[in-house]
Amino acid sequence: METLLDLWAAYGSTIAFAMVNALFALSTYAVLSTGVLSFTTVVFAAVGGFLAAQSVAHLGIGLWPAFALAGIGGAVAGSVVAAAFLKLDSHWMALASLALVLITRVTVLNTPLLTGGVNGLVVPMSVPMGDLVILLALVAAVFWRLHRSWYGLAARAVREDAAVASTMGIPPRGIQFTAFVISGAVGGIGGAALAFTLQFISPETYFIGMAFTMIASTVLGGSFHWFGPIVGAAVFTALPVTMQSVLPAIEDVAKGVVLLVIMIFLPRGLVDPRAVGLRRAARRRVSAEEGTDV
Amino acid sequence: MSDAALSRPLLELDTVVKTFGGVTAVGGLSTRVTRGSVHGLIGPNGAGKTTLINLITGLFHPTSGAIRFEGRSLEAMQPQAIATLGITRTYQNVRLFSGMTVLEQVMTGCWLTREVGVFASFLGLPSARAAWVRTREHALSLLARVSMDHRADELAETLSYGEQRRIEIARALGSRPKLLLLDEPTAGMNHQEATAIGRLVHELRDAGLTILMVEHNMGLVTEFCDDCTVVNFGRLLATGDPATCLADPDVQEAYFGRKTDAERIQALR
Repeated sequence: METLLDLWAAYGSTIAFAMVNALFALSTYAVLSTGVLSFTTVVFAAVGGFLAAQSVAHLGIGLWPAFALAGIGGAVAGSVVAAAFLKLDSHWMALASLALVLITRVTVLNTPLLTGGVNGLVVPMSVPMGDLVILLALVAAVFWRLHRSWYGLAARAVREDAAVASTMGIPPRGIQFTAFVISGAVGGIGGAALAFTLQFISPETYFIGMAFTMIASTVLGGSFHWFGPIVGAAVFTALPVTMQSVLPAIEDVAKGVVLLVIMIFLPRGLVDPRAVGLRRAARRRVSAEEGTDV
Repeated sequence: MSDAALSRPLLELDTVVKTFGGVTAVGGLSTRVTRGSVHGLIGPNGAGKTTLINLITGLFHPTSGAIRFEGRSLEAMQPQAIATLGITRTYQNVRLFSGMTVLEQVMTGCWLTREVGVFASFLGLPSARAAWVRTREHALSLLARVSMDHRADELAETLSYGEQRRIEIARALGSRPKLLLLDEPTAGMNHQEATAIGRLVHELRDAGLTILMVEHNMGLVTEFCDDCTVVNFGRLLATGDPATCLADPDVQEAYFGRKTDAERIQALR
């Protein structure tokens, strides 16, 4: 019991950050699963984070209403971004979203009344671990339902071949717009969760570092199933801590090597439903050659 | 439906032009597809056949000219709107979705006939679940039609080329279209498989579907097509019943070279 408590003291915050990062990775996955690479999760997180922090401080609302408000704020931001950006081609889209991340930071810096400006903002509320677990479980449940619904099927079709999907009556832009609204809501909630975990937010909180973490988590975990980003965020968050305790001398190198090994040998990420089907097909071929058809 | 509506062609192309930069892919082509027929679209490679299919399905928009389906103009419409009117297609190079099982491919093709809102389906309401099961049954029956139901749960990309072509046909049938466009449905198939496709096409026609198919196999065209349109360099060479079309001297020349060359070869022998 003693050791368990020690472990908790040492790694409790890592687990909390892993869950917050999972929310950001899921927000990125929401648009990536319809074939759009976008860094705007950072923007949605900033909207949700400052909205939640200010409303808790000045309106005196509770934790869960703050999450709801952050989600709505993010969803509104998501629909605005989608309306403006969806006509862009893929690489221009990624570039424009990155530009928006830079613009967001400048805006946050220059609106001190709303964001605390360069001094940042102290957040007078924290999120208990249990609530964070429930929050992530709820968001994951939404993605589970999306995956198993007509939306999920249409999203996969649009991602794999938008032109073919459109000749089957699926509106690619409509599906991608919905994806941005979902990404906005989840990103906003993630931003609020980060604010309540750090209890202090500044322009640097919602910047390039977060963009890197969420893209790396999604690619690492796999962007072909909603469980991938959650696994990816856990691995990506835990890796530095683990390497620090195992190989303190070459921590950074070891972290880089592990990431490279995963990306080279599992280019579609740790969670890949297609690989399961391919393995099954390979097994079937082998048994067919041996004359025992399955 | 009135007699006038029935006798009117289902699909009508009126001096359709499509240019890409300075290149004319389709140069003022007119033809019509009769309701309830199997219409062959033939011509040498690069004649503009696939461009025509892309124009009809809205992936390209014509530079000028009119495309009418049941009297409605399609030129300015988006692909998804055209699909909603009842036109679906297959592709020359099979374009199935990577990572989807055979059944999922066909389910995706049933998007327009899913009978349930996307949000109701997200919530998993009982009515949505019932509709999902009905769609699944529909998809399985389409797979049975192309003899692929025994492979329903396998990853489509692990199957043979001929099997993938049949899955694509089942997917295109998912939305219960009125007009089915098949772009070289028998490419890469042996004679037996190609004949099976021809028979399937006849079954579908007899069930009320109209089919426009790009086909290189002349034996299949004469055996299975009711009418045909022959194009070369984006222009109409001949249209009418297959036997007459193939006997046309212009068509012969386009396919087998210049007539005078052929005569010279005869003389040299």
